[in-house]
Amino acid sequence: MEEITNNLIPNTEARVNVTYSGQNGDLSDTVFFESTDGDVRSWVTEAVQNGSIPGINAAADADFGDFVVDRFAATEDRPYNLIQLRPKTPFGK
Amino acid sequence: MAKNVTIVGVGALGSHLVQFLRSEDIDIRVIDFDRVEQKNVQSQFHGKPSVGKLKVDALKQSMQFLYGKKISTVSHRLVYNNDNELLKGDLIIDCLDNGEAREIVQKYARLYEVPCLHGALAPDGSFGRVIWDEKFVIDSEAGQGGATCENGEFLPFIAITSAYLARAAQIFLATGKKTGFSISPTGVVAV
Repeated sequence: MEEITNNLIPNTEARVNVTYSGQNGDLSDTVFFESTDGDVRSWVTEAVQNGSIPGINAAADADFGDFVVDRFAATEDRPYNLIQLRPKTPFGK
Repeated sequence: MAKNVTIVGVGALGSHLVQFLRSEDIDIRVIDFDRVEQKNVQSQFHGKPSVGKLKVDALKQSMQFLYGKKISTVSHRLVYNNDNELLKGDLIIDCLDNGEAREIVQKYARLYEVPCLHGALAPDGSFGRVIWDEKFVIDSEAGQGGATCENGEFLPFIAITSAYLARAAQIFLATGKKTGFSISPTGVVAV
C-alpha cells in the first residue's frame, strides 16, 4: 500500500513552489518527487507563461534557465515533499 | 553555561542577526575583515557614525551602547590556513557573500561536525534562504554586484530573512532541532 505523507500528497509526489520576480506560488498539481530538474523547469515555465500559478502574474517571457531546483523531503513541520524553483542566492552580506 | 555562537560576515544578514540574538543567553563571536561604507548604512545594522570603522568593531560598540550586550570580534579575512583558529563554537552561522568563503565554512563544519546554519539572499531581494548545512548547496555567483547590499529598498526583506535566521538559531539552541526556511516577499516555507 502506498504510504501517504499527509491527507492529500503521496510520498512519491511533491508540491512545487515557485518564486519569480518577488512573487511566490505553487503549481496547481503535484509532480513525481524524482522528476528531473529539466522537467520541473519546463512545467513551471509553461505555467508562469500561461499565468496558471496563483500568486504569480503571467509573464510571457518567463525564463527559469538560471534558477535552482531544490528538493526537500517531508518533515514533521511540513508533511509533504517539496520541490522549490528559486533564484540563486549568492549574498549574505 | 552559555553556548558559543560564531557569526561569519556581519554585513546585511549578519549585522541584523546579531541584534536579533541579543536577548539569547549565548556568547556571540563575529568575524569580518570589512569596514563600514556609506552605502552600507541603508541596509545594514550599521549607523552613520560607524562609517570607516571595522564592521566588527562598529557592531561591538553598537551592541554595548544600545543593549549592554558584549560580543567578541575577529577582524581577519577567513582563509583556508586560519579556519581552525577562527571557526570555533557550538554553532556557526554563515552570513557571507561569496562562495569561496562559504566553502571554507562548509568544509570546516563538515570535518569537525559543528552545527552550521547558512543565510543567503538573491541579488534582487526576491528570495532568502535559511538553511542547515546538511541541505545547503552553494550557489554560483552569477548575480554578484547586484543591488542587495547597496539599496535601502531591500532593507525590510533583509531584516525579515535575518529574523528567520535568528529564529532558526533560537529553536536549535533551545531544542537541538534544525528548522530551515525559504523566504520570498510574499511567504515563508519551512524546509
